[in-house]
Amino acid sequence: MEKAESSALKEIWGNLVASPRRIYEAAFRSGAPKTDRTRSSFVFGNVFLHLHSVRTHIWSLKWSTTMGLGIISTAAFLITLVTGILLMFYYKPYPDVAYQSMKDIHFVVPTGRFIRNIHRWAANVMVVAVILHMARTFFTASYRKPREFNWLIGWGLLVTTLALSFTGYLLPWDQLAYWAITIGANIAQSPREITDALGITQYFDIGGLQRTILLGSDEVGAEALIRFYLLHVMILPLILVMLMAVHFWRIRKDGGIARPDDADEIVGNEAKSSYPVFTEQPEKTYHLAAIVKGRTPAVGSGPENTLPSMPHLFYAELGVLMLTTLICLALALISDAPLKEIANPLVPENPAKAPWYFLGLQEIVSFSAFTGGIGIPALVWIGLGLIPFLDREKEGTGRWLGGPGGRNLFLWSLLIGFGASVGIEAFAIYFGWLREWFPDIPQLAITVINPGTVLTAIYAAYSIYVVRKYGSTRAGAVALFTCFLCGFIVLTVVGTYFRGPNWEFYWTPSDWPGH
Amino acid sequence: MKKNKYLLLISSLGVFALLVYAAVSENFFKEWHSIQAGAKTSEGPLDVRLRQIINPSLGTTDRCVTCHIGMAPGETVVSDLKVAAPHPPVVHSPTEMGCTTCHSGQGLATEKLDAHGDVEFWPEPMLSAKYAYASCGTCHVPLEVPNSARLELARKTFERLDCYACHRLDGRGGTLRPSPSTGMEGPDLSHTGIKGFDANWYPAHLAKKEADTSGLWANSFGEVNDADRALLDQFLGLQMGAPLLIRAKAEYNSVGCTGCHVTGNFGGETGVDLSRVGEKDPNRLDYSAVEGEHTYQNWIAQHFRLPLSTVQGSQMPDLALSEPQIDLLTMYVLSLRRRSVPDIWLPKDRVRAMRFGAREFASDGETIFKAVCSSCHGADGKGVRYPGLPPYPSITNTEFLELASDDFIAATIKGGRPGRPMLAWGDRQNGFTAEEISAVVAYIRAIGGGIVPIPDTRPARWAAGDAKAGNRLFLANCAGCHGSMGEGGEGPALNNPGLLNAATDTFLFETIARGRSGTVMKGFRIPSPTRRALTDREIESVVTYLRSLGAKQKRPGG
Repeated sequence: MEKAESSALKEIWGNLVASPRRIYEAAFRSGAPKTDRTRSSFVFGNVFLHLHSVRTHIWSLKWSTTMGLGIISTAAFLITLVTGILLMFYYKPYPDVAYQSMKDIHFVVPTGRFIRNIHRWAANVMVVAVILHMARTFFTASYRKPREFNWLIGWGLLVTTLALSFTGYLLPWDQLAYWAITIGANIAQSPREITDALGITQYFDIGGLQRTILLGSDEVGAEALIRFYLLHVMILPLILVMLMAVHFWRIRKDGGIARPDDADEIVGNEAKSSYPVFTEQPEKTYHLAAIVKGRTPAVGSGPENTLPSMPHLFYAELGVLMLTTLICLALALISDAPLKEIANPLVPENPAKAPWYFLGLQEIVSFSAFTGGIGIPALVWIGLGLIPFLDREKEGTGRWLGGPGGRNLFLWSLLIGFGASVGIEAFAIYFGWLREWFPDIPQLAITVINPGTVLTAIYAAYSIYVVRKYGSTRAGAVALFTCFLCGFIVLTVVGTYFRGPNWEFYWTPSDWPGH
Repeated sequence: MKKNKYLLLISSLGVFALLVYAAVSENFFKEWHSIQAGAKTSEGPLDVRLRQIINPSLGTTDRCVTCHIGMAPGETVVSDLKVAAPHPPVVHSPTEMGCTTCHSGQGLATEKLDAHGDVEFWPEPMLSAKYAYASCGTCHVPLEVPNSARLELARKTFERLDCYACHRLDGRGGTLRPSPSTGMEGPDLSHTGIKGFDANWYPAHLAKKEADTSGLWANSFGEVNDADRALLDQFLGLQMGAPLLIRAKAEYNSVGCTGCHVTGNFGGETGVDLSRVGEKDPNRLDYSAVEGEHTYQNWIAQHFRLPLSTVQGSQMPDLALSEPQIDLLTMYVLSLRRRSVPDIWLPKDRVRAMRFGAREFASDGETIFKAVCSSCHGADGKGVRYPGLPPYPSITNTEFLELASDDFIAATIKGGRPGRPMLAWGDRQNGFTAEEISAVVAYIRAIGGGIVPIPDTRPARWAAGDAKAGNRLFLANCAGCHGSMGEGGEGPALNNPGLLNAATDTFLFETIARGRSGTVMKGFRIPSPTRRALTDREIESVVTYLRSLGAKQKRPGG
């Protein structure tokens, strides 16, 4: 008995000594990821990494293919996630107290100002990167079959990203936040322009309802703050993470990054010269992967021109992640996130401006609330969602500005997009609009005819012309998308830099009255 | 595919470098770190950490003491640094009340520029040292402050009678010790306005002088006449440790501001309510007319110099103030920051003003006249003409003072001229009492040269002329200044029910007949190069016509 006891104890001791090794083995069941094969099974066996396929086509790794915009967006999100959680330790979502906690974060919390700056900048980087990512996907025609659904997921991600940024805007509870959200809430209320004009607001006040749902009250106050806070720190991030998971998963399911049919010929045999190269025959076939419907990478088409995702893709992804971090850190050190006076409902900011990505809309809202608040945004959202279902062509998939028209069409569209938007803005600024000429004109007429609708009409007419000229939906889509992108940029710039008190035009803020 | 590797390497190194920089600057480069590291206590080096004074009931969280380490509660700091010096002795303990309660600025901040509030988005920058005492106005309301002439007289009396010999006032005086045996000097009088003082001080002093054998009292105290004692009492009632603020308020009570502006519980409504004007956000002002630094004090001063060009559409006339006057008035405007503070922090003076309607200006006729009337009627009562505004009438000319009975003047002050700039100064919330009004009437008579009214034996309404003829004469002779319906223009309105109710026919008749010396109103009984003299009958007709104007209007209250 004694001997048995001592041997059992010995065994425990032996197991204890061996446990670090065994923990390691339990984590890396296929051994250290030192060969291509073990790396592959490591990727496949890891819940996070298996969102990637184990091998990546060399086309996808070219910088010019994606410019890393998707990873930049993801990286920016991760940065906001980490810094946001840190900020939550100190932030108190109640009016006035919120502002004081911002001051505490700014002045007293160790590195609080730095963390907040990073959060703010990463959020802006994310908005920009998401928009550019969408533009990349569009201009490389990557939304086409079988990626239509992922385009729709991306569409949802864009909306969620803007919503996240917008809800975060209120939290500092300063004048900037307060009045930006007031403007935002008024934009939500803009259907009233139509219901008022039709005289049915008292029966059917959809605008007022939207505003009330957004604010939880008639004015921006404690209810709005806790609502925005909850959306910002819990609901929207959860939605975003879920959509991101689907988005990434679909990339793999849809056969990786879209590439032209002749991608293999273009990239040549570069894969062979890269280390580590594919040197071993796969030990097993990926049964599970083999029965998954649709195109699957690597299986069946052979390993040519693909590289193991680990390390090649991971280098790229981590590199972009660190680059994004670097950019956010540098911006955070250079420039402080704004914090104005404490929110004061009695002292309106003049001009009160929405967050910058909504200033294009606010610019149109200044002419017609409905057009800027509902009409054009709805048109854009619906149009964006429909693109992959209207464009069923094949030419140019995976190639920058692929398809009929190519670079020439793009340049023409740029010219028309910028020209028309700058022209109509200049016209409205110098000559005024209908209200200035006919003060008694019904608002409904302005809702129908205003710089926003006129600009949309010009863009639409140009696109129809392009569709007919090239006999291609894709060409029309390129024209329309480019034009709207230009319009967005021009209106946003005007709204951001050239609008002063009472939304008047000024060349510089130093021309504002009283400065 | 090596470039991805380099991308990862270089950006990671960059991130690392920036994080190291951020960590170092966070821990070593902060200004308050070096200030605290450079300071010492008597027991050795100072514990370098953030310090703050918190007063939840006042809503202050003041981290000023993080740099001004000598003022931190419980620290005895030894340092050559000016910033680390201890607070000079003051009435209120900074440890208890915090810093921003008096100095303004941004208590939450820990960096100089932000903390001093000299940044774009902080509405309450620090008060400059020059106007530091304006901050008393956050809680305190100096009460019953006389006009500056009387204040100066009172101060001179205090000095002339050499009260400084035994008493200290604002750090001055108290050098003579009346009794070597007790070694006590007289009590410090710096805060008698707040803490109160013995109303029987004079008999008490006299009794001590009688009882004293050493001769010190006999040498240092003499009899004080009643007028001087009244001045001294008034002077003592004003001492709150902020002599400059009292002087500023006395100036405010000397140039007629209250005639147009409300402060606290009283004032005219013609101008804006000034009760909290000192809290204006300097970042929201228009500085296009202001030279020099863009500070609130400079803006206020410029506004006094040129009201209209500083504030577009301002109705405030240019009062032609001197620079020293502007300086004092700026100080007073800055002190108008009557924040709501919890009851336990309300000083007695503020409670008296808020809840019991105590006057902020002294109730003597001179001060009331100067504080309320003088901006329109002039310090001498001869009327004022501001550019762009109709002239305000003279009330100290001989004819007016002879014709107007005390009751007439008092009724005018009490009920005003409805619809005209002359407000009803008695018939209003916290309005003048009958005693105050009669004090003003007496003062008006005094500056008018002591003229007494000619007794009027006739009934109040005797004129029985021809109203139609009176109308013709009025249009020919009076309408040019007084308006075709007597509605007023260059001259005062004559159809005003306030005037017609208070004025007797004799008053109207004699005014037309004799005119008003020193004004453009000439007597119509005497011919001028441009018109013939009016007969008494004609003047009576005009008076009858004027009465008919009153009948067309509803009399107020009746």
